[in-house]
Amino acid sequence: MSDPRAGNGGRKADLAVLLALGGLAGWYLFDAWRASAQVYNLIFVAPVTVLLLLLCLIEFAGQLRGAAAAPEALQPAAAAAPVIALFAAYVLSLPWLGFDAGTWLFVSAFLRLHGERRTVWALGYGLAFSLPTALFFSAMLPYPMPMLLLASEY
Amino acid sequence: MLDLAAAGSALNLLFTDIQAWAVVVPGIVIGLLFGAVPGLQISMAMAIFLPMTLYMDFMQAMLFLTAIFTGGSFGGGIPAILMNIPGTSSAIATAFDGYPMAQKGQHNRALGLSLGASCSGVLIGYGALLLLIDPLSELVLLMGPAEMTVAILWGIALIASLGGERLLKGLIAGLTGLLLGTLGYGEAGVARGTLGSDYLLDGIPAIPAMMGMFAASELIACTGRRYIVTGDTARRVSVRGIRQGASGALRYRRVILRGSLIGVLVGAIPGVGSSIANLLSWIQTRKKSGEPASFGRGNPEGVVASESANSSSEAGSMATLLALGIPGGGATAVMLAAFAMHNITGGPQFIREQTDIVYAIIFASFGQVLLLIALGLLFVPLLANLVKVPLHYLIPSVLGLSTFGAFGLTGNLSGPVTVLLFAVLGWLFKRHGYSVPAAVVGLLLGGSADEAMIYSYQISGGQWGYLLERPVSLAMIALLAASLAGGRLLGWLQRQAA
Repeated sequence: MSDPRAGNGGRKADLAVLLALGGLAGWYLFDAWRASAQVYNLIFVAPVTVLLLLLCLIEFAGQLRGAAAAPEALQPAAAAAPVIALFAAYVLSLPWLGFDAGTWLFVSAFLRLHGERRTVWALGYGLAFSLPTALFFSAMLPYPMPMLLLASEY
Repeated sequence: MLDLAAAGSALNLLFTDIQAWAVVVPGIVIGLLFGAVPGLQISMAMAIFLPMTLYMDFMQAMLFLTAIFTGGSFGGGIPAILMNIPGTSSAIATAFDGYPMAQKGQHNRALGLSLGASCSGVLIGYGALLLLIDPLSELVLLMGPAEMTVAILWGIALIASLGGERLLKGLIAGLTGLLLGTLGYGEAGVARGTLGSDYLLDGIPAIPAMMGMFAASELIACTGRRYIVTGDTARRVSVRGIRQGASGALRYRRVILRGSLIGVLVGAIPGVGSSIANLLSWIQTRKKSGEPASFGRGNPEGVVASESANSSSEAGSMATLLALGIPGGGATAVMLAAFAMHNITGGPQFIREQTDIVYAIIFASFGQVLLLIALGLLFVPLLANLVKVPLHYLIPSVLGLSTFGAFGLTGNLSGPVTVLLFAVLGWLFKRHGYSVPAAVVGLLLGGSADEAMIYSYQISGGQWGYLLERPVSLAMIALLAASLAGGRLLGWLQRQAA
């Protein structure tokens, strides 16, 4: 039997997402209007935002009444959170670690996090993946890339 | 119709000096590689190798560039099937059914179907171009900005409606995508929603956002699983399976024909092209199918519909380039540059006076199809081995590759940051039942819809009812309403009958 608390939590999370989307749309319309209230600036953004807010409202009301399609069991956030955090750390550290060392550390850390017990193997695979990829892209792209170990004019 | 004297002259041009063909094989391989590596684009490949065409004559340059185009059109489908990352925006719909097929262990068949449908699409597309280049160029001019606006909204509504019971959430996702697509400086010359960031002045980079929403979010959701394909036997790479898939594509003749015609027509519309053609073809095929519910869950017809349309749209965009001198997208814009480098101007005069060259380009594309089949069968099995890679190796590698690719597209770190943010958004959308494809398509087309709306307003002299006065846009509005109401009505009738 399904846990009613899980369904309740899912509905709350669903409502929170809906509120966030509606809030962001409202803020965007306000920002666009503040930038310029000319017809040309708002001709598309205003009707689309109003329609979006209206749909959010209908869905919100439906969710509260329990009439909207019941949310399926949500994927647990706990499984995805470490991956998202690691990926975020990788992307945000690229200006300092560069694509070569940053990718090496990211791939190796991911492998360790997901059960690869052989540290040397994890570091070796990370290096074998990151260096050729960094070399390939830096050779193919017409602009410099941030690098720590490889030469770069970034 | 066909000018036989010019056709003879075209064959002469192509086969007098067989050396001209020497550039076709490297062209297709470059296209396959750039299409198959997420983040590298066909237009990027053509731009990188454009300077090489300075040392070629015009015919050889065209053979080389169209070979890259043909290889890339097919190559984009490979990561869409194996990793749920459309290598190019023209392979979005390939991922809808291709990736679920790969998850079921039918990756060999899906790759083969994609190859077969792509080759058929190129053949039919260029065949249609051969016969219809004149009327097609006139038809393109009927599509004004008003029609474009309605076509974009119709497309979003159709994709949003694929969610069935979740139509409302699909529409919310599509409209959110449309708004995200208008961020930054618009046609009105005003910066919106940039939060003061210079990186957002040009808007959200669409391809990195697409990589984040489709691929990275899917990979995040896959964490904890061992392989993309569960079951050891299902992960086997079979050249025979790929070959059978390729020939099996011919069983879906109707789907291929419909997809190819949609591809040629939509591909001919400047600024729309293959990004929309594959989606429209997929939607139409789903609508005509007896089992619409199986689409998006690994229906082979979905792969065939998408790949035949995106490959034939190449011929459509070439029609606009040759007949009007207008590039339909990035790849044809590079070709226009190649025209300029060889002192050639596309347009009605070019078609009238250089018909033999136009025919030679078309005939060469028929030859390229044969080479694409051979090279595809050689390269695809190598790439298909991806399904054997354990997910805990594949996930960081693909996330890393997407990050490199996103940097390649933007030239700065806004690309990788976009992948990250949209990966989280995509994961959240999937988790809560919002349509990710609708949001991505909205994001891709939001800017164009905004521009088209402004042009309509300018052309009409500020008349709000202009959209409703144009017969083509009016017909599209009726279709939009019918596609939204029709599905609901059908669902209601089915519930009543049950």
